[in-house]
Amino acid sequence: MAEMAIFYDSSKCTACKGCQVACKQWNQLPSPLTADKFEYTKSYQSPLETNPDTWVIMTFDEVDQDIGVEWNFMRRACFHCTDAACLQACPVGAISKRDNGAVVIDSEKCIGCQYCTNACPFDIPKWKEADNKTRKCWLCQDRLANGRQPACVTTCPTGALTFGERTEMVATAKTALDEAKAKGFNDAEVYGVDELDGMHVLFLAHRGLEAHGLIRDPKVPDMIELWQLLKPLGGAAFAAVIGGLGISYLTGIGYKREETDESEEVQK
Amino acid sequence: MTNHWVDLKNSDVVLAIGGNNAENHPISMKWVTEARKNGAKYIVVDPRFTRSAAVSDLYGPLRSGTDIAFLGGLYNYIFENKLYHEEYVKNYTNASWLVNPDYGFDDGLFSGYDEAGRKYDKATWQYDTEGETPWDTEGAFAWVNKPGTPAFTTPIGKTPKKDETLSDPNCVFQLMKKHYERYTPEIASAVSGMPIDRMMEIWETYASTGQPGKAGTIMYAMGMTQHTYGSQNVRAMAVLQLLLGNMGMPGGGVNALRGESNVQGSTDMAMLFHIIPAYMATPNATKHKVLRDYLEKETPSGGYWTNKPKFFISLLKEMYGDYATAANNYAFDMMPKLNGKNHSHIAMFEAMNEGTVKGLFLWGQNPAVGGPNCSMERNAMEKLDWMVAVDLWETETASFWKAPTIDPSTIDTEVFLLPAACHYEKQGSISNSGRWIQWRWKAVDPPGDAMDDGEICTEIVHALKDLYKAEGGALPEAITELTWDYMDENDHLDITKLARAINGYTVADGKVVANFTKLAADGSTACGNWLFSGYWTNEDSMDPADQPTGARDNTDPTRKGLDGGMGSHLGWSFCWPVNRRIIYNRASCDPAGNPWNPDKPLFKWTGSEWLSNDVPDFGNKAADGTETKPPNSTAFIMLPEGNARLFAQGMADGPFPEHYEPYESPATNALSSTQNDPAVVVWESASLGTKDKFPIVMSTYRLTEHWQTGGMTRNLPWLVETMPKMFIELSQELADDKGIESGDSVVIENNRGAITALAMVTNRFKPFTINGETVHQVGTPWHWSYSSGCSIGGSANDLTPNVGDANTMIPEYKAFLVDIRKEEV
Repeated sequence: MAEMAIFYDSSKCTACKGCQVACKQWNQLPSPLTADKFEYTKSYQSPLETNPDTWVIMTFDEVDQDIGVEWNFMRRACFHCTDAACLQACPVGAISKRDNGAVVIDSEKCIGCQYCTNACPFDIPKWKEADNKTRKCWLCQDRLANGRQPACVTTCPTGALTFGERTEMVATAKTALDEAKAKGFNDAEVYGVDELDGMHVLFLAHRGLEAHGLIRDPKVPDMIELWQLLKPLGGAAFAAVIGGLGISYLTGIGYKREETDESEEVQK
Repeated sequence: MTNHWVDLKNSDVVLAIGGNNAENHPISMKWVTEARKNGAKYIVVDPRFTRSAAVSDLYGPLRSGTDIAFLGGLYNYIFENKLYHEEYVKNYTNASWLVNPDYGFDDGLFSGYDEAGRKYDKATWQYDTEGETPWDTEGAFAWVNKPGTPAFTTPIGKTPKKDETLSDPNCVFQLMKKHYERYTPEIASAVSGMPIDRMMEIWETYASTGQPGKAGTIMYAMGMTQHTYGSQNVRAMAVLQLLLGNMGMPGGGVNALRGESNVQGSTDMAMLFHIIPAYMATPNATKHKVLRDYLEKETPSGGYWTNKPKFFISLLKEMYGDYATAANNYAFDMMPKLNGKNHSHIAMFEAMNEGTVKGLFLWGQNPAVGGPNCSMERNAMEKLDWMVAVDLWETETASFWKAPTIDPSTIDTEVFLLPAACHYEKQGSISNSGRWIQWRWKAVDPPGDAMDDGEICTEIVHALKDLYKAEGGALPEAITELTWDYMDENDHLDITKLARAINGYTVADGKVVANFTKLAADGSTACGNWLFSGYWTNEDSMDPADQPTGARDNTDPTRKGLDGGMGSHLGWSFCWPVNRRIIYNRASCDPAGNPWNPDKPLFKWTGSEWLSNDVPDFGNKAADGTETKPPNSTAFIMLPEGNARLFAQGMADGPFPEHYEPYESPATNALSSTQNDPAVVVWESASLGTKDKFPIVMSTYRLTEHWQTGGMTRNLPWLVETMPKMFIELSQELADDKGIESGDSVVIENNRGAITALAMVTNRFKPFTINGETVHQVGTPWHWSYSSGCSIGGSANDLTPNVGDANTMIPEYKAFLVDIRKEEV
């Protein structure tokens, strides 16, 4: 099967959160039923971070202007990297790369060690205490197997999300970049084509990567490579020791780590 | 919408004003995006920086309630720079019509004002005429002589005086130009608070659509209508579109974005006090004592509405069936009538408060949260003997007696909560904003005891019929003779039979009519809603899929030599009237019949026949039925003028939109000494406040994540998670003044109530400079209340005023005064 990719065009996104809800609906991810269990986030971004039961969120960043603001939106979910740190960090082989490019966690195999949550340069996978499993977007493998597009893409009303063979999506992204520049968005950039050997979610950030909260030049932490050498020796038991020592401090470039500490507390 | 969703893609400039289309009508952005791909500009004018503003090309902030100052200034700019579409204005509007020389306007008041009655005598607003044209009852109007047609004195048309040069000081064009001379850029900016440079940039961009061939569209919603001059706000947009030649154009029009999935359908079916189905006036016991009065007073002298007697008699025939005969005036006396009192939402709750109204049916409505001054409305409900609430969940209204401020032990109201089926649990038609009447099929059975509303209604009607049959009473025939034979073999409501009756049929053979042109005033046809006529026309099937309303051909082919791809989609569902996708579409061509924009032709006169890419809204058929009638300039066939009205006599509060301040305003009217709309009636319970105590402007709105009073969405945890709490958005400057930080609990108060909300301090709100003074505006959603669902919070409508528009009584939800403070914990 050809490699596939989602393309997200921030210049067309209205941050309606249709994708956020469609993901939860299709994947039957629960939200608290009890009244007022949700935290107030002081923002339209809610929740502030992805969690084991919310795999896609819309992010909102504001830059003040004389009249109004620049209100920059971004889709935050697994990037499905080719050079996937989570996959490399997993001590039990629970994370695999599918032929279509999706990086998928097998819940049956997951031991809840959280190496992947620490390894991911984007802080995407999230661990759930209740069943000691880590979860994230799996690029709707069940839908793809049945000839459908991911749920988030299907629901997008504006065409900000499109899906197709990765080569086509790369071309679409480049066209979108030209269009954005022609409209005067001089800082517009495409993201995901080369990052981490190529992602399976591509982006047009029409006001630039930083404005939309994307990490420039992300890297798999160096220690992960060392870990690759050690892993066969120790297996799971060894992993528990090393994990606490090493991987959790390896990754200083994570997504807004300080800002989102609070919300991580909340979702536990 | 005069146009429709898909047609937004044909626009050159899209203006969203008084509506937040990206957030509240997300699908609109699919087509706006399409238009922008082709180079269109998207302008957003709103008091706050919304998600629509975030994706716009141009954003202009405007203080709530100052749209007419902004648009009036734009007219003046258009006149001064001659940017109007001259040929269009001359031929298709009443610009050249002369007005009574006694018409005048002075310091905010039009001539004929009656201060005591707070209303206008409109005699001086009429056209100056020079002759009379009676109906030709031997020719075009011969139908009035047909046996069975009720007798009535036919109307007489007045021949207008016109000045085609548009230079007579009493012609509409000159009167209008003069009226708006006061609306200078400086005044418009000082009143609205929009920085003048940005305002001029927006004006210049939008006025560019006045060039022949260019199209500008306006999208609006409740930000325009929910004001004491809301109807004038809407007219102000229509007038702008006429000046620029945008009405009837693909990519043009005045487009009301409907906020509920079938509110267009419910309006068409007249879920309002002042109209009966398809926009005819509700009979009034004083004005319309007998059928003859109704026909004489409601039938205009010219235009397509001259057919109103056919539509009205056909409606009576459907309502009362065989009982309705020429001899009993088609049962007109049985039809419910207004008693001369105001029966709007606001007035109804006043009447409840006074104890006049003793029972209340609520069908999917939650006024305890959604009504203006809703704590007053909850108190009024205490005085009811009974209430029936039909809903999906126990709403705050169904449980009003549980409100925190109410002591249930003192309330005698008996409340019945009937569980209703939701939209996927029943079938029927849903009319979208673009007037497409689309059939929707049932997916699953409703749970438990929940029932289709139609069936609940049917059970009530049958019980009433039995009671009136058994016990008699005043005018029992009004109920016992009412047609309700839309039942299936198991005696359940068969909605397809109802749909067929709404389409209309000939009484003698029961066969469906092709459309409303086949309706008659002699009792030979029956029709539940003439505008829907044509949506259910297959005589051989009762399957909605075989009917126009169920049609699902999504192609957009080339028709008769005119390119497809215009988004007409004539084979997808049915659009009222007669499947016409863009109304007033004659105006998309010049007087000679050539499309203003040759690249986007809806019609074209070849010299011998009409080519069509839509259903024509003009007489294109010659006497022999072929489409060969040469072009004329009757582009607005519903009006007796045949021309559109820049100057309109039908409005309660003036023939031109004039700026007034909201009833609660931080500003003194800078355009006249008439502070407020002079034709508005205010009840004492509105408890209006002043700026010395309440200096901050507040507006209410909706979020993408929630819907209306939250009855549905606060019960869906997935949606609650995306917007979990009631909040108040305020500027950094105001927050600093008040010592408030994001996340603080804030008390918002005025004379009508006090609520709390969590602070969201943001630069999306900025202080306005109004007449040189700083004015703060805040805003909150109105989705929350004290019970129901996974999230509770303050009800914004505890603060909104129950004061209504001069023409429609829609409440002024969008601009009122409050003060705020940090809640002491």
